[in-house]
Amino acid sequence: MGSIKRGVRNTFRNTIRTVGVVTILAVAIALSISMLIARDAVSAKIASVRATTGTTITVSPKGFFGFQGGGTPLSASKVTPLLALPHVTALQETLSQRLSSSDTSLTASAPSGQLGQQFGGGFTPPVRVVGTNSPGTALVGGAFGGSTEEIVKGTSFSATSDADVAILGTDLASANNLVVGSTFTAWSTKITVTGIYSAGSSFANNNVVMPLAPVQRLSNQAGQLTGATLTVDTLSHVAATTTLVSKKLGSAADVTSTSQATQSTLSPLNSVQTISTYTLVGAVVGAGIILLLSMLMIVRERRREIGVLKAIGASTGSIIRQFIAESTTFTVLGSVIGAGVGILISSPIASALVSASGGSSPGGGFVRRDGGFTGGGNGFTPPSGTPTGSFRFGGFGRTLTQLHTSVGWGTLSVAFAIAILVAVIGASVAVASVVRVRPAEVLRSE
Amino acid sequence: MLTVTSLNKTFKSPAGDVTAVRDVSFSTKPGEMVAIVGASGSGKSTLLSLLGLLESPDNGSIKVDDMELAGLDAKGRTAYRARKVGFVFQQFNLIPNLSALENVMLPLEFAGWSVSERKTRAREVLNTVGLGEDKVLRRPAKLSGGEQQRVAIARALVTNPELILADEPTGNLDRKTGERIIALLREAAGQEKRTVVVVTHDEKIAKEADRRLEIEDGVLREIA
Repeated sequence: MGSIKRGVRNTFRNTIRTVGVVTILAVAIALSISMLIARDAVSAKIASVRATTGTTITVSPKGFFGFQGGGTPLSASKVTPLLALPHVTALQETLSQRLSSSDTSLTASAPSGQLGQQFGGGFTPPVRVVGTNSPGTALVGGAFGGSTEEIVKGTSFSATSDADVAILGTDLASANNLVVGSTFTAWSTKITVTGIYSAGSSFANNNVVMPLAPVQRLSNQAGQLTGATLTVDTLSHVAATTTLVSKKLGSAADVTSTSQATQSTLSPLNSVQTISTYTLVGAVVGAGIILLLSMLMIVRERRREIGVLKAIGASTGSIIRQFIAESTTFTVLGSVIGAGVGILISSPIASALVSASGGSSPGGGFVRRDGGFTGGGNGFTPPSGTPTGSFRFGGFGRTLTQLHTSVGWGTLSVAFAIAILVAVIGASVAVASVVRVRPAEVLRSE
Repeated sequence: MLTVTSLNKTFKSPAGDVTAVRDVSFSTKPGEMVAIVGASGSGKSTLLSLLGLLESPDNGSIKVDDMELAGLDAKGRTAYRARKVGFVFQQFNLIPNLSALENVMLPLEFAGWSVSERKTRAREVLNTVGLGEDKVLRRPAKLSGGEQQRVAIARALVTNPELILADEPTGNLDRKTGERIIALLREAAGQEKRTVVVVTHDEKIAKEADRRLEIEDGVLREIA
């Protein structure tokens, strides 16, 4: 029988003690594992929310907010230099305009319907033109009801183009019998259709997207913008960059980022993450202390036996291995039971922690990602801007409690590492005590 | 052959230094059984600890077959205890959750024997000391005092050591059983030409030995 086998057998020398130690360890390890799982679930939730938030900052004219807002267009001379700011990786500039029937030969495709009639009798949805230096993502966002513009026919235009060209939404092109190569009139100028796009919704597909420069030129708004979107390199730089952009533009602009709203919405989850981390550490330390005290008691109880083993030729190393095996057996038994219990209770514990931290309350209203609808002017103006006009109703709160807890190999590996750590902590004291036992004690005590 | 020369051991204590073994010198022949007698606290157990390398002497020399033991490091002392010396204790000191067979196999494990060799050798020695096959798988608690001491003697003999050190081996046994145990130790000394040193305060037992040494206040002297 080797020292390892002897150690394993010693685990069961005292049934009552074994049951007691294993039970307490199992509780501590169950708590550790459930906290680990809860922490992973919360971290995954935070990551997914942050991933959907993006790293964009929206700049819009002060007071600019669709139907309700007004404001003065931004000056491109102030906005364009923002691209040079630290951590800013891209700048999308937009100028969006409504085209009334006197401005264009186009007819809107979208019916006014009951909702449209709410804006006034005889209301007909106008055609909106979006000038952008970032073709392809001009219609992204909730208020547009669109996603990236996918060219289904023809081609798009270059970001710096000054040509009188446009791409049209499928619905608008169809309503006006336009195809690639056709022309239409806007601001008394003939515009050539180079492509037809689809952006995922009827509203988004009722737009004209043109290069920024011709829209500024033809609408007599040279150097003016109705919106801009800055992309920042990482989420951690969004807040500081937002502050810097606000400072640069002063009172002329509203500068917002979704990360600000996200951060406050995510704060309950962050609290849960912190609580679960501290509880995890506490449970591990607690389990370590339990095992440590148990092994200390066992070694004290077996001083004579250790002395005998040394007297009959056992090396200190083999006795240490024996006690480590005993400590590890306690830990393995506690871990197996604790893991089962921990997996079962992790989901309710995670949900309870989120609820207790206020994460179940619905998020506040909506988060405006950018300028939305152009203000002022006659009647309804469709949403404007490069990925502008995006709203997120309901916030994230409603989905925060919908945590998905799962046990992957990663979590199990961490749990195994924790169990080994606990065994090492517990055995370390036993080892230190074994080294101190002198074989002569066995004779002296007789 | 055991040769001890000018052995000294002093323990430090808050009350002052206590010299347990003072300038002890003696030698034994192979096959000889030596009894060391003395009152409690006279230093006999300390002397036994020194001979078994459970304690290190302050100075002096301990030689077994001309091999100097006093200067061995921890690893050397462990190897010596595993192969060259066997201990028999007053309270048997068997491991309670191991069977008699497993207790006797322990020193063989520490001496590096294979599992199958251990089992064969341990059974053989247990049979030699008179423990029947029906009892070798019993735990110590299921054996009588005499049987436990037989197991302890088997454990001491199993590696075929050159030196057997017995500390009051009959102290917990009745007279008749004690006599059998002493006879067993004598037999062990005579058959294999090994040295047996028995510490006892029982004069009757001491008289069974080939030589008697008395220790008083750490000083050893031969009794005629």
